[in-house]
Amino acid sequence: MSRPIPRPYSLLAEVTYRCPLHCPYCSNPTQFSRTAAELTRDEWKRVLDEAAELGALHVGFSGGEPLQRPDLAELVAASCAAGLYSNLITSAIGLSRPRAEELKAAGLDSVQISFQSDEEPLADRIAGTKSHASKLEAARLVREIGFPLTINIVLHRGNIARVARIVALAETLGAERLELANTQFYGWAFQNRSALLPTRDQIEDATAVALAAKNRLLGKMEILFVAPDYYGTRPKPCMNGWGNRHLTVNPVGDVLPCPTAGGIKSLRFENIREKPLRWIWTESESFNRFRGTEWMPEPCQSCEFREIDFGGCRCQAALLTGDAATTDPACSLSPFREQLTRFVESIQGATEKGFEADTSSVAYRENPA
Amino acid sequence: MSPILPGERPKLSSRARLQKDKVTGKPILLYPEGILILNPTAHAIVTHCTGAETFEDIVAKLAAQYGASPEDLRADVTTCLDRFRSLNLLEMLA
Ligand SMILES: C[S@@+](CC[C@H](N)C(=O)[O-])C[C@H]1O[C@@H](n2cnc3c(N)ncnc32)[C@H](O)[C@@H]1O
Ligand code: SF4
Ligand code: SF4
Repeated sequence: MSRPIPRPYSLLAEVTYRCPLHCPYCSNPTQFSRTAAELTRDEWKRVLDEAAELGALHVGFSGGEPLQRPDLAELVAASCAAGLYSNLITSAIGLSRPRAEELKAAGLDSVQISFQSDEEPLADRIAGTKSHASKLEAARLVREIGFPLTINIVLHRGNIARVARIVALAETLGAERLELANTQFYGWAFQNRSALLPTRDQIEDATAVALAAKNRLLGKMEILFVAPDYYGTRPKPCMNGWGNRHLTVNPVGDVLPCPTAGGIKSLRFENIREKPLRWIWTESESFNRFRGTEWMPEPCQSCEFREIDFGGCRCQAALLTGDAATTDPACSLSPFREQLTRFVESIQGATEKGFEADTSSVAYRENPA
Repeated sequence: MSPILPGERPKLSSRARLQKDKVTGKPILLYPEGILILNPTAHAIVTHCTGAETFEDIVAKLAAQYGASPEDLRADVTTCLDRFRSLNLLEMLA
């Protein structure tokens, strides 16, 4: 029996892949479309309207670096008019006072700034460019103007020992939410995973510190700690199910069930320049391919967790097994788990030196040509 | 979290926005990365979280509105407010 098509709750609007930073953990694709042009302002307005019409309630403006688009405030205003709760997901590079005020006036609801570390030399080394000092300034500005502030920090072997100091920084900056997000291994991060994956001991320490901070700050700062699924036994319930709650529109207008799905080469994704968003969400082959549970192979098909984790992440399955329609290898029941475990074991005993002195073993994110 | 004092005045955080869901018509609370679908009681409680009314004012008003005793309502209102507080959606003004 086929079930009714769900509604999307959130839209991720990746308005550009251009970015002044070069984070080696970046989940953006390592290969960008070199031919198609970025969506225009009017095309984005249509996307925002159609997403709200479908039921979306949240929009995140992301990228790349969304502030690279001079028309960002106009897009924010359009999302506001459509009744969407808007969040700017930004490195904060380019967030000047006039820009921040313009966004406030356009109706932007909240700002999320990503940091690389709590201290300058390391943060700048991770970002591949001088940026930490201007992020601090932008974060203060965001609070002064009255936006709710989320701090996001991607954790990896080179900064995970600093969680306590990162929490302290978020407190000092007056953040209301802190995301301590272990690197998810897609895009550039996948390419750099040998240098990025923390050791088991590091994860245990960081988890304890994060939990203590979470309890201490309950009611003052919301803390989200995302554990790395490479160390788990069950996969993450990726996007709460394929085509179930979320849609991403990338800079050239491809509509994806998650930000990294473009890496699945066996699927052809529809483009908003050719089809209405509603059709893509409800009818397209790409959105229906992994909806629900019918597509599942064993061991998922007969597993009691299939409605809880949806068999994990399709992108990770594709990356690690070559086939997007297999059980996510983060699951202990996956026939590919052993291979992943071998990789995880291979980095135990590694030190965090990667970003301290020698960065020759990491590939820094590059920009679209 | 510290227990709520009778004279404290809960105020909905500027992170949160109360609106009506276009699809279902139900009241919802939107905040960064989150959505709460409010039942009628939670909705009624949120509308009183303006920073002007004390906890006891809110309990008394809801008691009148629902024809219930303040004693019965106090626990429910506390549970609901604590839920919002744990999500960092309320300021408690002294
Ligand atoms: C791809 S970035 C784009 C927006 C902006 N350039 C920024 O960095 O904030 C979107 C968010 O994803 C986070 N992020 C990037 N790569 C990630 C990864 N591999 N795993 C988890 N989060 C990641 C960033 O820190 C940021 O909060
Ligand atoms: S390189 Fe860094 S700042 Fe730029 S998009 Fe990727 S995560 Fe964001
Ligand atoms: S077998 Fe599939 S459904 Fe069961 S826990 Fe593993 S990934 Fe989830």
